[in-house]
Amino acid sequence: MTSSVASVLASLFAQVPTPEEINAKVDLDSLVLLEVFYFFTVVIMWLIHVGFMAYEAGVARRKNIMSTAMKNILTIAVVTPSFYYFGWYIYGCFEHGGPAEGHAGPAEFPGFCGLTAPWSAGMGGNLESSLTGHLSLVFFLAFLLFSWTTASIMSGAVIERIRLSAYLILAVVLGSSVWIMDAAWGWSSGGWLTTNYGFHDSIASLVVHGVAGAFALGVLLNLGPRIGKFDREGLARTFRPHNTHLTLMGLMLIFTGFYGFYAACLFIQSTVFPGWLNIYLSPTTLGTIAMVITFGFAGGFTGGWIASRGDPFWTLSGGLAGVISVSAGADVYHPSLAYILAASGGMVAVWAGGYIEKKLRVDDAVGAVAVHGVCGFYGVLLVGIFAGGFPTGVNNVPSSFGGQLMGMLAFFPLAFLPGYIVSWLLKKANLLRVPPEVELEGMDMAEFQQDFFPEFERVPEVVVLPTGEEVEAGPVLLESFAQVNGDRAGVTAGEERRFP
Amino acid sequence: MIDSFPFDEWTEDITSFWTFGPENSTGTYVLTVLGIILMVAALIYWVWLENKKLAAQAELLRSAGSLPPASPTAPGPGFEEPPLAGPSTDPGP
Repeated sequence: MTSSVASVLASLFAQVPTPEEINAKVDLDSLVLLEVFYFFTVVIMWLIHVGFMAYEAGVARRKNIMSTAMKNILTIAVVTPSFYYFGWYIYGCFEHGGPAEGHAGPAEFPGFCGLTAPWSAGMGGNLESSLTGHLSLVFFLAFLLFSWTTASIMSGAVIERIRLSAYLILAVVLGSSVWIMDAAWGWSSGGWLTTNYGFHDSIASLVVHGVAGAFALGVLLNLGPRIGKFDREGLARTFRPHNTHLTLMGLMLIFTGFYGFYAACLFIQSTVFPGWLNIYLSPTTLGTIAMVITFGFAGGFTGGWIASRGDPFWTLSGGLAGVISVSAGADVYHPSLAYILAASGGMVAVWAGGYIEKKLRVDDAVGAVAVHGVCGFYGVLLVGIFAGGFPTGVNNVPSSFGGQLMGMLAFFPLAFLPGYIVSWLLKKANLLRVPPEVELEGMDMAEFQQDFFPEFERVPEVVVLPTGEEVEAGPVLLESFAQVNGDRAGVTAGEERRFP
Repeated sequence: MIDSFPFDEWTEDITSFWTFGPENSTGTYVLTVLGIILMVAALIYWVWLENKKLAAQAELLRSAGSLPPASPTAPGPGFEEPPLAGPSTDPGP
């Protein structure tokens, strides 16, 4: 009996791993956890794009549904390879402004930069078990989803008159060059804005949203408004969304995906307390940012509802604006502060949206410039006021109002000018906008030769005049078309019915 | 049983397989170039195909006679073409 017990105990002790073996297993588990974590942030972030598609397709008139949705789908087709082939390299190697120096060939790029070229070990299947080995692929994917988001932000602003191909070219410029350049400068631990000025934008108020909004503004100035958007006095008319429920559901999907977006903006450092780092490698926690985003939605809905006096579209858009306004300081803010600041952001978006449409007479179909652009810049400014002094990045440079202003001054031209210049070139080549006849008839017939609600009776399109009166859109649009082309005599009452 | 697989040996075999992601090999350079060619060609094709479709539809609508001739100039404000609202915001006399 005694010998039997001794034998069992001996066999048990023989299986006890050494401390070294335990450490090795813990390290391996940590790496697997890390890879799984980022993988699922990517899965959740797909909902942002489902949401953008539903949101924009709902806002579009019936005649433009599929051409609107296809923009969102094909964003993935063009931004994915372009971000792979040069976007990720820009992030890895342009932290100091221009490309990293001191390397003779692709194999000799220093550090992280060396893993970002498309032919490098970090960009293909990789069995090296480390942060810079096989894990670099899930980091790449998380940033790729951010890239799709920037393009999708611009996408909503330009619907119902931009050519699909023109949009795709602009999406490549924004999603694979412009935004990732600003991320290299101010959304990485080694970026020159971070290390020199303490620029702090932890969950990308400006580097994703603000920059995409500024780029979209540059495009809109060349693209022009939809035919009939403004009357002869320059007062704005309103086109009724074909499906407001779809639009609101799209926004809710975007909100859901934002939790993945927020989580993907953190690093896991499981061997050091508290286990989480922001993009600048400063400590924070997952709970901190989750509270800020949730209170950001609450405050944003409240602010949007108050400022718009209960308008459903702007109430929900206010939620998005609220979150964007507090994202820059989401690793720092107290939930109450996030709630209050987000409410102000929701209000700012409503007021900015009205100003952009009514005063600047820019036709932004979904309010992207106001919600993403204005609130993105506003959010970074708020950090300078409410989180000034917080140490940012590996150099622990305190964030400051001046440092935040420096980031804003650097990023506005970086985003606006490419948007304006590329869209101007496309316009000069007559490749930016669909022909006016096609715009009146609806883009779906020209692009896809079909009506995507064939079983439903087609009812006349309506438009809301600046006076608030809702009228049949056909005559209004044809009159606007005639203003564009200077021949009112060619339009007769009978022919107006061809374009309901 | 899974612990008994010869993972070290397999790892070496997999790592050296050319499509899996070895670094800086001729194979990955070639694949990169081919991928970039496909990406650029697809964008050019999109522009060409859509231009053809839009031109055909616009011509069809014009030939139906229901609209006045369209301006050859693409609409849009730009800084040099006030008002900012563009051509559909004719401020009138």
